[in-house]
Amino acid sequence: MTDQTTGMGQTLLEERAGDAALESPNYDNEFDAIVVGAGLAGSAAALTLAKRGLEPLLVERGTYPGAKNVFGGVLYTPTIRELTDLDSAPLERYIAEKRFSMLSHDDETAISIKPGEWNREPHNDSFTVLRGDFDEWFAEQAVEAGATLVTETTVTGLIRENGGIVGIETDRPDGEIRAPYVVLAEGGNSLVSEGANLKATESRENIAVGVKEVLEFPENDEAIQDRFRLVGDAGVSYHYFGEGAVGEAYGGGFIYTNSDTVSVGVAYSLEDAATKHQTPEETLNLFKSHPAVAPLLRGARTVEYTAKTIPEGGAETMPDLVHDGAVLVGDTAGLVLNNGVHLEGTNMAVESGYHAADAIATAAERGLTSADALSSYADALENSFVVQNLERYGWLTDRVEEDRDLLFEQLPSAVADAGTEYFRMDRAPKEAHARAAKQRIFETLGGWTGAMKLAMRYRKLVR
Amino acid sequence: MTTVTWTIVVGVKQVPDADEVGIDPDTGRLDRASAPAVMNPPDRGALEAALSIKDVVDARVVAMTMGPPMATPVLEEAIAMGCDDAVLITDRAFAGSDTWPTSLTLARAAEQLGADIVLAGEETTDSSTGQVPPGIAAHNGWAQLTYVEAVEPRPEENRLVATRDVEGGHERVAADLPVVVAVAYGEFDPRPAPLHRKLYAENDFEPIEWTAEDLDIKDEVGLDVSPTSVGGMETVQPVERKGEVVETADDLAEQITEVYS
Repeated sequence: MTDQTTGMGQTLLEERAGDAALESPNYDNEFDAIVVGAGLAGSAAALTLAKRGLEPLLVERGTYPGAKNVFGGVLYTPTIRELTDLDSAPLERYIAEKRFSMLSHDDETAISIKPGEWNREPHNDSFTVLRGDFDEWFAEQAVEAGATLVTETTVTGLIRENGGIVGIETDRPDGEIRAPYVVLAEGGNSLVSEGANLKATESRENIAVGVKEVLEFPENDEAIQDRFRLVGDAGVSYHYFGEGAVGEAYGGGFIYTNSDTVSVGVAYSLEDAATKHQTPEETLNLFKSHPAVAPLLRGARTVEYTAKTIPEGGAETMPDLVHDGAVLVGDTAGLVLNNGVHLEGTNMAVESGYHAADAIATAAERGLTSADALSSYADALENSFVVQNLERYGWLTDRVEEDRDLLFEQLPSAVADAGTEYFRMDRAPKEAHARAAKQRIFETLGGWTGAMKLAMRYRKLVR
Repeated sequence: MTTVTWTIVVGVKQVPDADEVGIDPDTGRLDRASAPAVMNPPDRGALEAALSIKDVVDARVVAMTMGPPMATPVLEEAIAMGCDDAVLITDRAFAGSDTWPTSLTLARAAEQLGADIVLAGEETTDSSTGQVPPGIAAHNGWAQLTYVEAVEPRPEENRLVATRDVEGGHERVAADLPVVVAVAYGEFDPRPAPLHRKLYAENDFEPIEWTAEDLDIKDEVGLDVSPTSVGGMETVQPVERKGEVVETADDLAEQITEVYS
């Protein structure tokens, strides 16, 4: 090698060293918006912004989107379907059966719903997914549309100027970056939003703790389709209530089938976890060993254990959604519906991300960043199914809380006992069995009067 | 303060993530396909060593890697951490190269960049030969420092002093430049990438690209000139180790004393 070629490499380095971007890159206000968190709400916002011609920066603390994201297991896809092509999405199974079970400590009474329609496209837009796969895919859709993703970066605070939000602080060196809008999609544990006084710290009565295991069946490839009676891509969503599901706590248990694994978990009030000395691990283990649940899981091996907090305050505890330069979406905005019958958060997260991005795109056209200019997000959400559903069921949580002993402990036992009486095989006439069954229920409800009162209290459920 | 600008070249390699990689029990080969590609972990230490020299000496740090274009992310990671530039050495002619042509290629690239110091991890997690850094030194006739735990630049003497891990202790050695340094794994804690640099590296940076021809080694690389031949493979079954649970710290102390006395 000659000195001349040595010089060539060095000259090249010299030439390139003149590039200011290479010397000290600066992306302040290079992006139109910053989205904090690449979950469903965040990626929906980033995708919508990109589709509207803006360049959002999507900031994720995990090594990839979905690495840190936890939910029960069922994704509702009506809005995602509008935003992008679902055909390439990593879906596990569609929900072909919903089953609701009352568990006393050793009884089960259940109803099952299996509409034929759910077996046909679009499968009622209800699918089990693994968030590690799905969220990575969903963020990819945003990136393909023009969003920029940066991972392994934790947002630690917001930059304020003249009262408005103008950027974020991260845990990296040189970690501040500015943009006209910040979308807070940081999840239920909203440390950034709370730290910046964009929302109040939740009281524990309004938070549920969820724990979940993903289980595989190492020596039995047929376990899932046999035990849950499935054909093809069909799957189930089993919900459990009562003492057998979560002990004395207010909440429930669930089993969802994925392609080759099942998700099994419990979710119950954080207040109960704190005051009733009922740890999530113990509660989940009790649920998994219930005689109606254990056979479904026999021989299974845990491949993943996750936990999360779930905001359950409903419409009343929803924080202000818009601020100068910032909006709150998804779990951060408390957009989760859990009333026992419906357990929904993913569809509301996506819907809120979409409306927030839509409002930002409209405000950006006019060059405005004030809360006023962004208020169309709050209005749109108010008029969407998201807030309407939260308001519809706002009363339910309080009422169920008042009746918790009756609903979760006395009634499951009474219904199971009544069933036992009604179908008892002995030499007494059926009439005696029916009477005993009725007697058992009425004792619990407080006679006809009690039953009528209870029905009145919950009539809005079927309104 | 010295007026000489050192050029520090850091060799980095993309490898399958060792946490995710498995061994096919039938063939005994690494199942690389299923594992995500990451930067060879010891090379992160080499980058940190290079940047720590730049913290105290006027220097330019350039990362280089030899591999397919899909190896570019390791150069982006190097730029994000603080490297001033990066070179992707890529050519189909390199296919099948073992450590001999590989170290020749990197030696030529380092020479062309005008390297004063070449740094690399002590070995890669996917082949573990540890031959490449000494190979670079040998091809160029430069000094070499291996298993280096600490570096102390002496620009006024145009030398680099290093602490080397040797059996039973360590030794301090001063080498005249140019020198090739193989960094001991785990001794340099890599710094986090600053946010704006990371954004630049991942979205806007384009590395320099060199082919075998650019380095004038077209006929000296590839499978044909690689002397390595694999005699055979054998999968070794792990040996069952004896384990015992003791109840108290005193019991544990007793057991330890027994072993040591």
